[in-house]
Amino acid sequence: MNTLRTVLIMVLLASLPSLVSAAELDQAKRDGLLGERADGYIGLVVPGAPADVVALAADVNQRRQAEYERIARENGIERAEVEALAGRKAVERTAPGGWIFTNGGWRRK
Amino acid sequence: MPLPKPFARNGSHARPQAGRRPALAGIALLAAAACTPTVKVATDEPITINLNVNIKHEILVRVDRELDSLFSSGSGLF
Repeated sequence: MNTLRTVLIMVLLASLPSLVSAAELDQAKRDGLLGERADGYIGLVVPGAPADVVALAADVNQRRQAEYERIARENGIERAEVEALAGRKAVERTAPGGWIFTNGGWRRK
Repeated sequence: MPLPKPFARNGSHARPQAGRRPALAGIALLAAAACTPTVKVATDEPITINLNVNIKHEILVRVDRELDSLFSSGSGLF
């Protein structure tokens, strides 16, 4: 029972960073600082974003790349194909008013 | 009115574009053959069927589902 509780607490603690960054990501998107790109990654919509937003984008992109790599490997396809599929999905799922990078430019959905 | 060329000997009036049509059809056939499953039939060998198109579709469906769960997982990635 003790071990189970310890494990549960550790799982909860481990999930906190991703919960935090989820909220930060949403906020940065709503603020118009970050947007989804058709290549499957987060981009900076405008120059001069705060350092923590820039760092958040870099962190999220790094983790996304790892996930795309995993999915590509598991399915025997190229990571570029997963990136393109993810990018299209991310753009589709962007809320109205959000910024997306398609066809060479940022535009508001 | 000048004869269109080529003028087929069987009496039909071939239009000038007719010369290109078989070539276009040939190219279209080649393209179609590249995209469709290939069936090779021989007397001794077993029938081999290329299922690349179907397999790829399955993979697309699976990857799409995996991406869906990645988007919804609350992983902070999207």
